[in-house]
This record gives sequence, structure tokens and C-alpha cells, in this order.
Amino acid sequence: MYTKEELFKAISTVIDPEVGFNLVEMGLIYDAECNEEGIAKVTMTLSTKACPLHQMIVQWVKESVEKLDGIQEVEVDLVWEPEWNITMADDHVKKALGGG
Amino acid sequence: MFSISQDFAPPFKLISPFFILGSLFYLFSSCYIFFIDGSSLTTLDTGVLGFVHLFLLGFVMMVIFGAMAQLVPVVLEVGHFGVELFYAIWPLLLIGTLLMVTGFIALPALLPYGGVVVLISMMIFVMEIFLTISKVKKLNMVMSSVLISNTFLFFGIIVGLVMALAYAGTIDADITSLLRAHVYLVIAGYISVTIMGLSVVLLPMFGLSHGFSMKPLEVALYGMSSSVVLVVLSSFLKFAFLEYAGYALAIVSLFIYFYLVLSIYKTRARKENDIYVISLIFSYSSLVISLLMGIAYFITSYEPILLAIGWLMFVGFFGFLITGHIYKIIPFLVWFERFSPLVGKQKVPMLVDMVPIKSSSAQFVFCAAGVSLVCVAILLQNDMLLKAGASFLVVGAVAFFRSVLYMINFK
Repeated sequence: MYTKEELFKAISTVIDPEVGFNLVEMGLIYDAECNEEGIAKVTMTLSTKACPLHQMIVQWVKESVEKLDGIQEVEVDLVWEPEWNITMADDHVKKALGGG
Repeated sequence: MFSISQDFAPPFKLISPFFILGSLFYLFSSCYIFFIDGSSLTTLDTGVLGFVHLFLLGFVMMVIFGAMAQLVPVVLEVGHFGVELFYAIWPLLLIGTLLMVTGFIALPALLPYGGVVVLISMMIFVMEIFLTISKVKKLNMVMSSVLISNTFLFFGIIVGLVMALAYAGTIDADITSLLRAHVYLVIAGYISVTIMGLSVVLLPMFGLSHGFSMKPLEVALYGMSSSVVLVVLSSFLKFAFLEYAGYALAIVSLFIYFYLVLSIYKTRARKENDIYVISLIFSYSSLVISLLMGIAYFITSYEPILLAIGWLMFVGFFGFLITGHIYKIIPFLVWFERFSPLVGKQKVPMLVDMVPIKSSSAQFVFCAAGVSLVCVAILLQNDMLLKAGASFLVVGAVAFFRSVLYMINFK
């Protein structure tokens, strides 16, 4: 129903308030898929297990996908393997965070 | 989905008094220095003791207790046993601190009363933390550090209570021996171990650090805990070797802890040097300098060095570590309460937008200059330099208080 790119585009509206970048460019969204029945599944991680906003961020991801037409259900799978690191982020994020 | 830290964030109105009072006490402590005679400082001077209690209880403990209301669920991954108890902790700590400081300055008869009120507030805090920890199924290293530090605080409170009763003449006890155990249990056992444990959560979280080893934390925690046990035992057994072995172990443990912090710093993804990072750099520099001075004190036994170590540890290391984190914690709490419900509905600020650049920079510059000047003044026993340092500190503390109010009232 929606491609991975379309789902990633919807999720890219979710911004981490601490770093100021969206979750997709941070490399926190590992995968996203959606079947013909409108059931979507997002696999994601967080930059730290201790993130006090984790439930809220997961909820925002869910809501961002639910806004797409025809989506019936969204499942967010929060995983810790592979562990996130800065190499997973987009180049402009690395550059901005690295002060370069 | 694997769940981690739970959504047990306490209401901001519960935590904000801790931060407002803490920043006010930071200002009061800075002003207090004007009333200390810098030409004849000694460790048992009542003016110095008054300052130490004003700063450590009013600022350090007040902010740590407030921060723990927020951080405990994050670190322990369970909700508080009774977060409402924090509504009782800050008024008691406030009253007790004021009574104790008045006792040191003018009315010694108030000391035991102030001490008991402070101890009640701390006992409520410790019991709440213990009951919260009892909900945790499996302790990791950070959770263990919370348990260890609060156990030390518990015994520190007991010893403090005995001291207060001895002061009041209710019981007969050797106050000098108890004092060493009390100070070491609270400062090395509670504050230092708490800082060690929370560092591996907070520093990587804010710096986006990954891939560092946790082994140094384990070694530093065991070393510091053993050091506390040795020094406390030496207080009662009158065995000087235990005491000095304890001090030496504490210095080694803090160096190992510093190595851990350095490895977290080196592996961080965020390279910008904002107010948080420069505060931490000053804080840890103070720690290293005070540790080196500790070695110098072992060799020379020159008392002003001991006072300068205390100054750098308390105001340089603890002080800047706390002020730096306040620039992260308050914006988060305010944002969480005020702006997170608006996400997706309207444009919301980023956390960095909520930090006042000018007043936070002013706070850093003036406080750093003040801490450095006072340190030199203590070593030289120079009263004029002490007052000059205090002047810088007061300006910095006003800027800090202004920053705290700005962040709390951010709309």
C-alpha cells in the first residue's frame, strides 16, 4: 500500500527535541513496511536506552504513520540490535553534530 | 516491543521548588563568602562549616534530590514508590538547612534541631528510594550504584543523628570521630557514588556517546565503596592506616572514574561545546586538580591545601557538574510538561532554544573566575583575594538564578 520511502517520509516529521533532527535523518528508523490491508510495521531504535521520551517518541512515530490515508493499524517495534551509533545518521547530521 | 524507562515523569510543580531553592542557595552561599575571614581559614572554623552546610545541603543536596525525582524512574526503569513524598522533602531540607546555618553562624543551640530536621528529610528521601528499588527485578551496575549510594546516605544519616543527639547532650559520644564518618558517608559515599553511577547514563545520553567500556565504572564504584568502608571503620577503630588507605583508594577510584568520563567524552557524536559541555570541562578539571592537590596534601600536610581541595571538590566539581546538568534537565522537564502535548499540532521549541545564552555564559565566566580566585585565596590565606573571588561568584550566581527562572518560565 505504501513503500518504505513513503513511510519514511511520513516519519520524518517526527523531530527529536534534544538534537533538533528528525528520526529518519538521525538513522533511528531501521525499517518500515505496509501491507495491502493498511497494516504498517515500523522497526526503530533510540539513541539511548535511558531516553526519558521513549514512549512519547514511539507514540509520535505511530501517529505520523496513522495520518496516511488508509492506514488501519501501526505497530512500532523498538529494538536495540543493532545498537545505534552516529555512523547511521545522514551526512549533514554528522556534520552538524560534529561541529564541522 | 522491549520497554525501557517508563512514563513516570513527576509533575514539574513537584520538582521546580528543588531547582529554584537550589539556585537561591547557590547565590546565598556565594554571598556568605564575604563574611568569612580569608586570612585565617581552618577546617573546623564555624564560618567555614556554615558555608559548607549552606552549599552542600542548600544547593548540592537540594538539586540532587529534585533531579533524582526525575532520574530515578529513568535509571531504575520503574515508577516511584511514592513520588508525593518529595513534596515533604524540600520544605524540611529548607528549614533544616536554615536552622543549621544559623546555628553555625550565631546560635549553636539550633544546630541539633536543624540537624534533626535535615535528617528527617533525608530519611524520607532514602526510604522512598529504597522502596522504589525494591520494585526492580534485576539490578544492573547503574541501579546498584543507586542502591550503594543510598545505603551510604542511610548510614550517614544515622551517624548524623547520633551527632545531633551528642551535640544536644542527650547522649555521650565522640563527635570528632563521628564527624569524619558522617562527612565521608555523605560526600564520598552518597554524592560521589551517585555522580559516578548517573554519569554513565547522562553523559552518553547528552553527548550521544557509544562504544565505551563500562569496566572502569565497576572498578571505580567498588574502589570508592571500599574507601568509604575503610574510612568509616577508621573513625571507630582509631586505626590511622585504614584511614589513609581509604583516602588513597578514593583518589585512585576518582582517577579511574575520570578515565571513564574521558572515554565517554572521546566517543561522543555531539562535538559542540555548549554551556553543558564547558561546565563539565570545568567541573572535571576541578576534580583532577583537587585530586593532584590531595597527593600534595599527603606529602606536605599543609592545611590550606585541604581547604582548597574541599573548595574545588564542592564548588568546582559538584557545583559545575550540577549547574551544567540543570541547563539540560530543566528545559527537558518544562518542554515535557508544556510543549510535548503540542507536538504535531503546532511548532514547538527545541530544548536548546530554552537555554538563555547570555545569562548562562555570564554564569559560567563569572563563576569559573570566582572559583579559581577563591582557590588561590585559600592557598595564600589572602582575604582580599577571597572577597574578589566572592564578587565574581555572586555575579555568576545571580546570572545562574536568572537562567533558572528564564527556563522555568519559558513559554
